Amino acid sequence: MSNPTIHRSVPKRSFAPVFWLLFGAGGMLSALFGPALIILTGLMLPHGWGVPANFADFDHVLAFARHPLGKLVLLAVIALFFWHGAERMFLTLNDMRAGPPLLLRLATYGLAALLTLVTIALLLAIGF
Amino acid sequence: MSEGISERRPFHRPQPRHWWAHKPYLAYTLRELCGVAVALYGAILLAGLVCLWRGQAAFDLYRRVLGSEASLLVHLALLAAVLWHVVTWFQILPKTMPKLILGGRLVPPRAVTALALLLAFVCSAGLLAVVIVIGAFA
Repeated sequence: MSNPTIHRSVPKRSFAPVFWLLFGAGGMLSALFGPALIILTGLMLPHGWGVPANFADFDHVLAFARHPLGKLVLLAVIALFFWHGAERMFLTLNDMRAGPPLLLRLATYGLAALLTLVTIALLLAIGF
Repeated sequence: MSEGISERRPFHRPQPRHWWAHKPYLAYTLRELCGVAVALYGAILLAGLVCLWRGQAAFDLYRRVLGSEASLLVHLALLAAVLWHVVTWFQILPKTMPKLILGGRLVPPRAVTALALLLAFVCSAGLLAVVIVIGAFA
């Protein structure tokens, strides 16, 4: 060390911005496309409303999930939606004083992280 | 984000339990839970991905479940919750983003909200239109 007398106190780094970024990305994605996605996958595709009846059958959906762009869409939608819900659930439970913050973080962020990994694993297992 | 009692702010005004279930906080609680509905919808999609990975039989079962009346009602409830999430998300937007100044004038928060809602409508309607057009030519 060239100058050991200087001891600048480094502020403790926080991981909060990472979670806020994921929360914000999920919030914006769901705000822009969420209603259309729910109408599409929950109402139109299962009932064949406005689209061919076989539009979302096994072969078509498999082809979508095997395409790199399809994988990206599925990962972004599923994972970011989980992270958005996790942040809101954590803040709400924390405000309700439902438990120690660390436990609440594990239960919410932890679940989102786990399900993100599951999504990635499934997308890889489905193949290209 | 409250982290419990610290030395700097030692006193917390006593708060009744279940304060979040009563006015005026109920609106806040409902808004947050509508945001959680986004994650519930993500879980439905993830279930579909699991069935897709397991194979044709599992995915056909998933499609049958999605075609049921119960699923229709669940998705309508999710749609209502997510629509409320959309409205509140863009009501908060002017407070979270930097002040928008155009031509030396502050753009009023209401205009920012209205513009963002219009953008959201265009995005959602556009996505549905694209899918319908692809379906028509498939």
